[in-house]
Amino acid sequence: MKWVVLMSNPISIPKEDLNYTSGKLPVHSDPNPEAKPLPKVTIDGKAYEFKPGDTIMQVAERYRLHEDIPRYCYHPGMPIAGTCRMCTVEVEKAPKLMTSCSTPAGDGMVVHTRSEKVLKSRNGVMDFLLTNHPLDCPVCDKAGECELQDYTFEYGPQESNFKEEKRVYESATTKKLSDKITLNMNRCVHCERCVRFTDDVTKTNDLVMVNRGWHKELTVTDEKVGLVNDYQGCLTDFCPVGALTMNDFRFEKRVWFLDKMPSLCDGCSKGCNIEVHHDKEVVQRYVPIFNEKVNNHWMCDEGRLSYHTYADANRIVSPLLPDTASGRLSSTNWETAATIVNARVKSASKVLVVVGTDATNEEAMLIKGHFSARAELKYHSGFGENKALDHLLRQSDKTPNTKGVAAIGLAPMQATDVNGKDLVVVFRQGRAQIPKVEGQDVILVGVYAREEIDALKASNVRIQAVLPSLATIEKEGSFTNCDGITQSFNAAVAHRGKALALPKILAALVGDKH
Amino acid sequence: MATKNISRPYTVAQKLYVFYIIKGMLINLRRFFTGLVLQRNWTIQYPEERRDYSQRFRGAHFISVDKNKTENCTACFLCETVCPAECIHIVAEERPDDQNPDGVWKEKKPLSFDIDLLRCCFCGFCEEACPKDAIKLSRDYEMSVSNRDDAIFDLAHLKREINGRG
Amino acid sequence: MDPVIFTTLAVVAKMLLLLAVTLGVVPVMVWFERRGAGWFQGRPGPNRVGPFGLLQPLADVIKFFFKEDWTPGNADKFWYWMAPLIALVAPLAAISVIPFGSHLVIGDSVVQMQLADVDAGVIFILAFAGLEVYPVILAGWASNNKYSVLGALRGSAQVVSYEISMGLALLSMLLFYGTFNMNEMVTWQTGTLWGFLPAWGCFFNPFAALVFWVSIFAETNRLPFDLPEGESEIVAGYHLEYGAFKFAAFFMAEYVAMIMAAALMITVFFGGYGFLPGMQTILEIATQQFGLGAAGIQNVTALLQFTSLASKVAFVMFVFVWVRWTLPRFRFDQLMDLGWKWLFPLSLVNLVFTAWLTWYMGQ
Repeated sequence: MKWVVLMSNPISIPKEDLNYTSGKLPVHSDPNPEAKPLPKVTIDGKAYEFKPGDTIMQVAERYRLHEDIPRYCYHPGMPIAGTCRMCTVEVEKAPKLMTSCSTPAGDGMVVHTRSEKVLKSRNGVMDFLLTNHPLDCPVCDKAGECELQDYTFEYGPQESNFKEEKRVYESATTKKLSDKITLNMNRCVHCERCVRFTDDVTKTNDLVMVNRGWHKELTVTDEKVGLVNDYQGCLTDFCPVGALTMNDFRFEKRVWFLDKMPSLCDGCSKGCNIEVHHDKEVVQRYVPIFNEKVNNHWMCDEGRLSYHTYADANRIVSPLLPDTASGRLSSTNWETAATIVNARVKSASKVLVVVGTDATNEEAMLIKGHFSARAELKYHSGFGENKALDHLLRQSDKTPNTKGVAAIGLAPMQATDVNGKDLVVVFRQGRAQIPKVEGQDVILVGVYAREEIDALKASNVRIQAVLPSLATIEKEGSFTNCDGITQSFNAAVAHRGKALALPKILAALVGDKH
Repeated sequence: MATKNISRPYTVAQKLYVFYIIKGMLINLRRFFTGLVLQRNWTIQYPEERRDYSQRFRGAHFISVDKNKTENCTACFLCETVCPAECIHIVAEERPDDQNPDGVWKEKKPLSFDIDLLRCCFCGFCEEACPKDAIKLSRDYEMSVSNRDDAIFDLAHLKREINGRG
Repeated sequence: MDPVIFTTLAVVAKMLLLLAVTLGVVPVMVWFERRGAGWFQGRPGPNRVGPFGLLQPLADVIKFFFKEDWTPGNADKFWYWMAPLIALVAPLAAISVIPFGSHLVIGDSVVQMQLADVDAGVIFILAFAGLEVYPVILAGWASNNKYSVLGALRGSAQVVSYEISMGLALLSMLLFYGTFNMNEMVTWQTGTLWGFLPAWGCFFNPFAALVFWVSIFAETNRLPFDLPEGESEIVAGYHLEYGAFKFAAFFMAEYVAMIMAAALMITVFFGGYGFLPGMQTILEIATQQFGLGAAGIQNVTALLQFTSLASKVAFVMFVFVWVRWTLPRFRFDQLMDLGWKWLFPLSLVNLVFTAWLTWYMGQ
């Protein structure tokens, strides 16, 4: 139950707890609680207050009893379907077991989530689900975070009663639905989360279940169009089995090797909350974590795959200085680089400092503090005014902190700003575009790829130095997103090259020690 | 637990020591002539004679192959996970479709599969963990190598023919 | 032939013969030590090289030849090299006064079956046997290695301690014989005691024989007293830093010292080259069979005497091996206890008693 684990993450809990994640009722919103007592439902012998209209599942989730109620089709971010029958609970005075996801809680209702009857029911449901599940856990990337595995372990029968041949979808075993998603229909338990996701969340309607019963099969709605939505990675997040897996992560790593650290996605100005999954500091994937105010449960594919930038073999991770004779950039140590760059900055009279809008608020303040006395400070994103690209998360501004950098009092850079400058210092640590600085002396600070450096040199830029700094997942700080929400984050992985944190680079650039 | 002190005092003969030395030496003299005349040995002459090891003896590893000489291993990493000595190192990849007559069952394969015998403690946990009966420990107990690199079994070596078990 | 040249040739021949026999016994002993260990322990022992593994010592020698002859950097080079030489030379020199027969008659000359008929033979032997403590100390100290020094300390303490009781045991026998000359000692021991026992020194003073026997185990650093070495505590002890042929020298010296000690013990306590029971009969049969003259009888007698000594030495060597593979080694404090608290006072008492007895009998 991934999202449940992720919800416990401290940075993801918004201040106003509308989705009950902190386990406390927003009773303070009621002016007179004495006059109108909240209704109570008894779950496993203990009474809990709830908001009228909540289902039993929602009440249980709010009070963190979610581990007592297994579920396949229910997802807090999607409409309720009630198809999997896994979440059934025993309600006293009800003739049959009730699906907790779709049964509204009532005042005085008495619910048992782990009675013998309930466990027997879950055992039976698991038995049926496992009739056709191929049990290819060894090759399945979901193994280790698979709800079918977990619930089988907890509730399932130890031996199957099913002796017949298992169902095989000949055409849909290992079928590439798109360049990002692979479908293995044999593993599917028909919870239809994916279909409801494309119907109600992305509203692209590009997945659909065809046929009925034994032959029920997931397919794309239009074969000619295929699966084209921008949130395909989420399909693999909430798929309870390994039916939908991510090509990018396919066979890369078993999930139990992964260390999970919370961070922020810096792929656009939305600032989605993510969990960085890495093994021995090698990032394997990003996974969204729940934040009602920012990204809900979702994350776009562009941001999800943006970790490749930081794991790129062409990323520059040691300081570069130009050779005096040939002008070729070659790597050096920090002491040499600091001495030369410090002298260069101090000898320049007219300096322009361009802060990329992927700097954290703290870094922007620090740059401002170091350079305000001796240079002209501007910010630059290269993406112009921010626009929402769809109704969900994607934004046109691909830098995470435009609002934050603007808020500390910097002005956007104009094309004419570079005219008549001795030296341009460019800070660019993420996806901001490098400003047009043709024919200028430039010191580059931040995260650069070798191709970008080559392109700059080709456009007649005289690069004085390249000083690599840490990427977003490697440092701590805060971003202010497009909605004005400021979120802080800690370092998720350790940097493995020679790049330094920005404060140290700034000290080397304009510090007095050198 | 209560301690019980038991004293076994030496006899005078034992304290004198000489008689018991002589007694022991006579016993050993009998052993000497048994060995010299009857050639009765309690040892085995190793390269010529070999001890019959148990069927459950855990020796050098191998990976079982199917009739197409394709390894049964699907790179599930369970052995690497369970290995207490952390001597197994696997890199997985997808098997190309044209080399995969078994379809989905063998779509994942090990790109490399290294066992560092110098770290291995021959506990057999990998064999227990393997869901495909791929990695097994043979009864081959002669694993000496003349350089350290040879002690790291790679996939090609692990797929060798093993007589006896597997 | 000129008597001077003849004597010179005879001495050179005896020297070469003595060296050849003594050093020739070493590989046989090495083989027997290891093969015998196998038989004692119910295993075949080394049986791969040559028939019955007889070429094993040769293989060892080849190995020693081709090993790197290495000297530790901080060693005292001179004494480091001298130690194995002293170890080998001292027991070889001591052997020169052991008589291994009465004399041969060649032409009209008489050749003593002894390299040097020294009047103070026992003193000579004790002097050279006493030198044996030097290689241990020198090797340990010159190697500049902690383990070596510890081994050397142990070794010297052990050798010096047991030399005292060994000397006292010898002294009591000297009182009996009334001479330092080894030939005379052997002559003293001919004949029988009460008609059936050979009149060997050990039957007159069995306690001195026992003390002497125990002491030579300690003197030659053999188990159960091989404290100068010890794999578990001080590795190879005093010869830890010695490899290749320098180690081989120590190795050989151990066996030469064993032969020397065995020969000394035979001479003093077990009748020396005196006939073993039955040898007189062989001599008589040979005399009748071949019609030997006086010179011939003397020569056959000398050969039989040599055989007698050789077989006695062989038996003592067998006992060395036998004890080694039977008895567990002593702890160092136990070793010192035995040496100082038991053997030393008891041999003193024995000496006083013998002195009194000798005086009383002389009365």
